[in-house]
Amino acid sequence: MAKFITIGERIHCIAPSIRKAMAERDPAPILQRAEEQLKAGATYLDVNIGPAENGGEELMQWAVKLLQENFDNVPLALDTANRKAIEAGIQVYNRSKGKPIVNSADAGSRIENIDLAAANDAIVIALCSADGIAADNDERMMHMSTMLERGLEHGMEAEDLWFDPLFLVIKGMQDKQMEVLEAIKMFSDNGLNSTGGLSNNSNGMPKHIRPIMDATMVAMAMMCGMTSAIVNPCDLRLMETIKSADIIRNNTLYADSYLEI
Amino acid sequence: MAFNPKKQAFNASINAVTLGAGEKSTVIGGENTLPFYTFDAPMANSPKIALEISDDGMASLQMPGMKAAFEGCASVVDMVKKAEELHGISAICLHFEGADPNGENKSVEECVALAKEVAEATALPIIIMGCKNIEKDAEIFNKCSEALQGKNIVVLSAREEDYKSVGASAGMAYNQKVGAESAVDINLAKQLNVLLCQLGVPAQSIVMNLGSSCVGYGYEYLSSTLDRVKAAALAQNDQQLQMPIVTPVSTETWNVKEAMVSEEEVPEWGSLEERGIEMEIATAAACLTGGSDLVIMKHPAAIETIAKFIDSLM
Repeated sequence: MAKFITIGERIHCIAPSIRKAMAERDPAPILQRAEEQLKAGATYLDVNIGPAENGGEELMQWAVKLLQENFDNVPLALDTANRKAIEAGIQVYNRSKGKPIVNSADAGSRIENIDLAAANDAIVIALCSADGIAADNDERMMHMSTMLERGLEHGMEAEDLWFDPLFLVIKGMQDKQMEVLEAIKMFSDNGLNSTGGLSNNSNGMPKHIRPIMDATMVAMAMMCGMTSAIVNPCDLRLMETIKSADIIRNNTLYADSYLEI
Repeated sequence: MAFNPKKQAFNASINAVTLGAGEKSTVIGGENTLPFYTFDAPMANSPKIALEISDDGMASLQMPGMKAAFEGCASVVDMVKKAEELHGISAICLHFEGADPNGENKSVEECVALAKEVAEATALPIIIMGCKNIEKDAEIFNKCSEALQGKNIVVLSAREEDYKSVGASAGMAYNQKVGAESAVDINLAKQLNVLLCQLGVPAQSIVMNLGSSCVGYGYEYLSSTLDRVKAAALAQNDQQLQMPIVTPVSTETWNVKEAMVSEEEVPEWGSLEERGIEMEIATAAACLTGGSDLVIMKHPAAIETIAKFIDSLM
């Protein structure tokens, strides 16, 4: 029923310009990428500061404040392996436009990030893996149950755990794609929210192919009940597909100008 | 274990829109719950009633009860002054029926002059309703918006055919409120709001006239439209549908069979006036419970009842 939520992935310290901007606390490149993504229709922005072992707390607080002050308290996904940095980011986070997202927890060594989300009334992206990719959907569902129970025990609402089946690269794992979609269907049948790094499916494909494959994947995933994805919102074909699928699912009301809003 | 009802207040709300200026200005919208679901959260502003007054004045009052309420009035301005004393009326809807080129064809200047007189006579917010002729209405809205600058009036309505001219004048140049009219077409309702916003009319200056129909005369279409709009606005946080809803009731209810066929023809139906009042009450109550933030009504007895209805549900 709710509109599909896009989490813009382009503030990522793997990008050299962003890494440099984060290191030098230079707002301009970060603000520019934020603006592009929001203009293109992103709801959330992911803020990936990398492992950030040194100074991660201060960096995350700087990034959260920078983005929220400049973009009307845009809701953010705080993305780092440094738990303290996520906590520090939440301390300065303004939730008027949406709860913060902890990106991410899994059923293995990162399960405590669920506790962190619970303690801070945050959403958590729950990767259905423990040590390595799940072999099949039995394993994915086992991880799902483990993390759901963990969240509920700590007082979370089930809707605040967004399960990520982990999208797999087609070039190499083509035979596993339908299984990933079936996992999403199982989350959806259980009334659970889902998300994931969708573009992983098209990794290694030629540049002009990737938007086609990503758009098709998102349409098929939405058919299975997927509620959110971490995407490049500047991919027009992808965003148009999401908006159209939202119309067909009756998640948004149709108007002739629906692609413009 | 005690039963704990789950509150269904939404994280989205209907825009709060101020009508009129000065001491008697009124605010519609603002709620973040379904209509009258005060057990979920208080409604920010109570729904309001506007009184429809035709440019034909006393001559347009077809029922004895209407005439009695305005006894002694000689002009539209007298009626407007009298309306201020009646219970439950928050705005005046000046209906330029007589401007219709296929009817009396009153000139635009005449209409504007009357609108000015009315604005001078009352502090109540003013809603300008046209004659359903697109070209004439656009002119009336534009000129009235210009003449009544600062009064924060509502013009009913900007339609698919004339939203550009009405939006640009009333909504932008003269800073009035624009009613976006969509004749029970939910996709057009949203589209008109999108187009008005793209034109540059502030979202806070738009109210929606989703169309209207009398109960028993296709009302179910309006009902499902109201439901879907509220679901989109509140549950789906659709900002293009968060405009408050203004629904003309009297223009639909006083020309259906039940409100027109004489007692001689159908004695078993009872009093003609009572029938009309009941149709107006039933329609207004249905609109309000469906999500209208303001209903336009005519019969003082029906208004009295609906005002009481609103008060007791708030």
